[in-house]
Amino acid sequence: MANVPEDPSDRTLEDVFYPADRIPFVEWDELSGAKPTVVLTGGVALLAFVTGLSNLSQASLALNGPLTAVVDLPLAVVRFGGVLFAFILGIVTVGLQRRKRLAWRVAVVVALGLVLLPLATFQPTDIPLLVMTLVTYPLLVRNRHRFDQSLDLSPIQIASLSAIFGVILYGTVGAYGLRGQFLELDSWGDAVYYVVVTIATVGYGDITPVTAEARWFSLSIILFGTGAFTVAVGALIGPAIESRMATAFGVMTASDLTLLEDHVVVLGYGDVTASLLEELGEETAVVVVTPDEETVASLKDEGVNLLTGDPTDEDVLRDARVGTASGVVVGSNDDARDVLAVIATKNVNPDIRTVAAATDQKHVEKFRAVGADEVINPRSIGGRLLGQSVLGRGSTESLLTGIGTDNGDPDNSE
Amino acid sequence: MATSDASGIAETVGRLLAPLCAASGALVLAGFFFPTLVGEAVTGPAWLTVALVFFSSGLCYIALLPYSEDSTGPAAADVFLRVRRTNVRRAVREFLTQHEPTILAFPVLVFAAFFALQMAFPTRTTSAVDAAAATVLTAGGPLFLAAVFLSVCYCLFLLVGPWGDIKLGGPDTEPSYTYPTYFTLVFTAGIAAGLVFWGPTEALFHYDQPPPYVGAPAQSVAAINGALVYTLFHWGISAWSAYAVIGVPIAYFAFTRGAPLRVSTVLAPVLGVDGLDSVWAKIVDTLAVFATIGGIATSVALVSEQFLAGINYQWDVAAGEIGPVLVVGGLTLIFVVSSATGIHRGIRRIAGLNVVLFGLFALLIVAVGPRSFILQRGTQAVGTYALEFVPLSLHMGGQWVAEWTVWNWSWWFSWAPFAGLFVAALSRGRRVRTVVFTSVVATSAATIVWFLLLGGTSLFIQHTGQADILAAIAQRGGSEAVVGFPLLSSLPLGQLLLFLFLALIIVFMATSADTSTLVVSVLATRRGVAPSATHIVFWGVFQGAVAVSVLLVGGAETLQALAVLTGGPFAVISLVAAGGLTVTWLRNERGHTSLVRRAVRKLPDIQTHHDVDPPEEK
Repeated sequence: MANVPEDPSDRTLEDVFYPADRIPFVEWDELSGAKPTVVLTGGVALLAFVTGLSNLSQASLALNGPLTAVVDLPLAVVRFGGVLFAFILGIVTVGLQRRKRLAWRVAVVVALGLVLLPLATFQPTDIPLLVMTLVTYPLLVRNRHRFDQSLDLSPIQIASLSAIFGVILYGTVGAYGLRGQFLELDSWGDAVYYVVVTIATVGYGDITPVTAEARWFSLSIILFGTGAFTVAVGALIGPAIESRMATAFGVMTASDLTLLEDHVVVLGYGDVTASLLEELGEETAVVVVTPDEETVASLKDEGVNLLTGDPTDEDVLRDARVGTASGVVVGSNDDARDVLAVIATKNVNPDIRTVAAATDQKHVEKFRAVGADEVINPRSIGGRLLGQSVLGRGSTESLLTGIGTDNGDPDNSE
Repeated sequence: MATSDASGIAETVGRLLAPLCAASGALVLAGFFFPTLVGEAVTGPAWLTVALVFFSSGLCYIALLPYSEDSTGPAAADVFLRVRRTNVRRAVREFLTQHEPTILAFPVLVFAAFFALQMAFPTRTTSAVDAAAATVLTAGGPLFLAAVFLSVCYCLFLLVGPWGDIKLGGPDTEPSYTYPTYFTLVFTAGIAAGLVFWGPTEALFHYDQPPPYVGAPAQSVAAINGALVYTLFHWGISAWSAYAVIGVPIAYFAFTRGAPLRVSTVLAPVLGVDGLDSVWAKIVDTLAVFATIGGIATSVALVSEQFLAGINYQWDVAAGEIGPVLVVGGLTLIFVVSSATGIHRGIRRIAGLNVVLFGLFALLIVAVGPRSFILQRGTQAVGTYALEFVPLSLHMGGQWVAEWTVWNWSWWFSWAPFAGLFVAALSRGRRVRTVVFTSVVATSAATIVWFLLLGGTSLFIQHTGQADILAAIAQRGGSEAVVGFPLLSSLPLGQLLLFLFLALIIVFMATSADTSTLVVSVLATRRGVAPSATHIVFWGVFQGAVAVSVLLVGGAETLQALAVLTGGPFAVISLVAAGGLTVTWLRNERGHTSLVRRAVRKLPDIQTHHDVDPPEEK
């Protein structure tokens, strides 16, 4: 970088054909992680939607793919399949983004279904979807261990979901059993249709109870069903809204941080950390964990992720995803709490590189003792710099570079 | 970095290109997914424009993506400021002094003279060049056949013989390119859109009019095998050997003897490394520049015409007079940007995309094509090709061989200087065996598979009567461009295949033209001076301008014949180079082991282990 020739035409053929360092054609590591998997799944969902719409817009759809020779797929399934799968996959993508195990399982099944659809129709428009799904599938399988979060439903969510399921089951079986007492209710399909239309409070009125018994039965579905439906909507959507509100106030919830990997976690906020954030800000994602609400408010506009919590608490550190972080910086003004934070960090992830800033020189060894990989005492560095500078041994710049390499800091090469 | 003065502009252009590419891409996708809805709103010529905008903006964007994330060039404003401050006269003088005067002047003058003659006496010029070409190809036929056959033998010897062990650039040199990149660059630079056009076509031509060597009745079952064999022969090992024979000597003298990286370096064994400043070396370099520009420019022009002929046939889109010029303009934009961004950005990325598309297309053909027919006929054709390679190579069957085989060899030799020099430039740190294996065996394996797939499919379709492709050719006055279209539309997934086919034509042409632009710029600048972005843009635009003039003035075939004629001198030069290299290596490179000896050495080892190792031996 330093000696760019003044005249661009002075470069030699070396520069044209042989670069100093070999550049990989494709950064495979960057393209095969969990994040690209989520993005690709989203892309598949979008493409499935467009392809499904394209199939729907065609006046007639011929099934002449290789799959039709093996199994007999009903035309309706194929026609609407693309769009339906796209909706499911869209929801699943959100789940995958939160690293949910269940989402991964559903994605693996739905993606298989998406491979079958193009093989049934074999339209030219289906092939991009087929190719993209076939590219995504190995990534899903390869990153299976990355999607390890359980769904973590609260008791009320579980209760309301099972209530809905129970009411639908009860309603379907009951309505089918009483089908003689309903107008135009003849099959299992009609029964499901009637129950869902009733629970959702739509009630077209094409199927109507005609006896007293059937009316009482319908009333029970309406009471229990709409009740469960309303509670479920509240229980499932409420937390999402709460999390949105919390984010708006500058506080991250654990699920917002699940996407992070190879980030730097900064525990505590002190004098050193302010300039640290400037240094790190451009290069990597940073999560600041601090118990102080005021600091959080002041940092809200700085473009860093904030987590309000106690840095000495292992659960908070897990939320900050210390497990997948590339490093941890401990640097509040309180050495005693910092030592506890180092211990907590090492409890969560013993292998992580931990750098501590000691406020007091005599605490350096204590940090080392609890497992900090690197301990820096900003004051003593400042003092040494002052001394070197006043004696005139080289410029401050070169001293700084020297210190950078002494400490083996890999990010400080320039 | 090297092109940092241009990266500010590149960044600005890139920022404009991204939305352009996204918008045209969305329109193309909409047309692909909802043909009935969008088809009513957008008409034929508009589609052509949208597709061209999509291809060129997309490829340019890929080429312009930054080199690495942290390399920051000067801001665009600074660059524009510098442009404003530049003294025009000084810049032109600098540009001229960095060039080798003869190499700059000769091709420019020759092309100007050609176009002047073509405009003044179109028929006389054409007939004169045609007569010259016919004479050279008929009289010089044995020379071309011998040169190609000897090249194949020489490559085979390098592959298994002891000299395959020689590492170009000394034993400690590490190759600068990973093997996949190396193969991709060599393959895509060496072959252009001809692969796409002739893939479905050539076998069909030989099936319709069987070569005298085959001697089968026209359009018979027996003609199928002969047609496939001759197609493999014209595009197989023989063709690619021409590149290796020029490339290996250049690489050896450039990397181990300090000769400059130029085409004239093939003469180093004759002139000596110090004698490369002589007139002969300049003549060779000038001829190389002329052959390359002539070859690439006529290819670009012909490809554009064929591209539009095919589209016209398939969708009845009349592009008019301006159509080919627009296509040439788009192509020129792509290869100039790709070349100016350098090997590590544009050239390499578009080449990678090219190989991916190529593989995808071949896979789709395997999926929907007549697999058992191709497999059966293909293995038979490959067997015949291997068994009868020597008689095929030495067969001089009069007019037919002059028109097909010799013309083809001459065309490959006229491309050899630029492709060979490019192979040489990439090969630093590789063994001679790897170079020959990649540039001859691996590349011809890829082309052979391609020609068997596409040629086999078109023969199957024609022979079984699923579509009458030959009638389509006759209807278009024997143009080979239309063949792909009736063929692909008679297959399942025809629309998708056609779209990929069009993309392949553009990408294959761009990957050859960007390399040729770089090579011409290297050859035209003075020794020791590397071409700057200005030089590359100049030569790229010059090639585009020649292609446009050919289209406007006419005479694309005539100029092509003229470019092909330069294959003659290079056939001779390649023989001289191979001979000179052999003499040099006989003197200086001893003590290498051949593959055969290595294999033989392994054998007794195994035997001693099993037989001569009795436990009671003391």
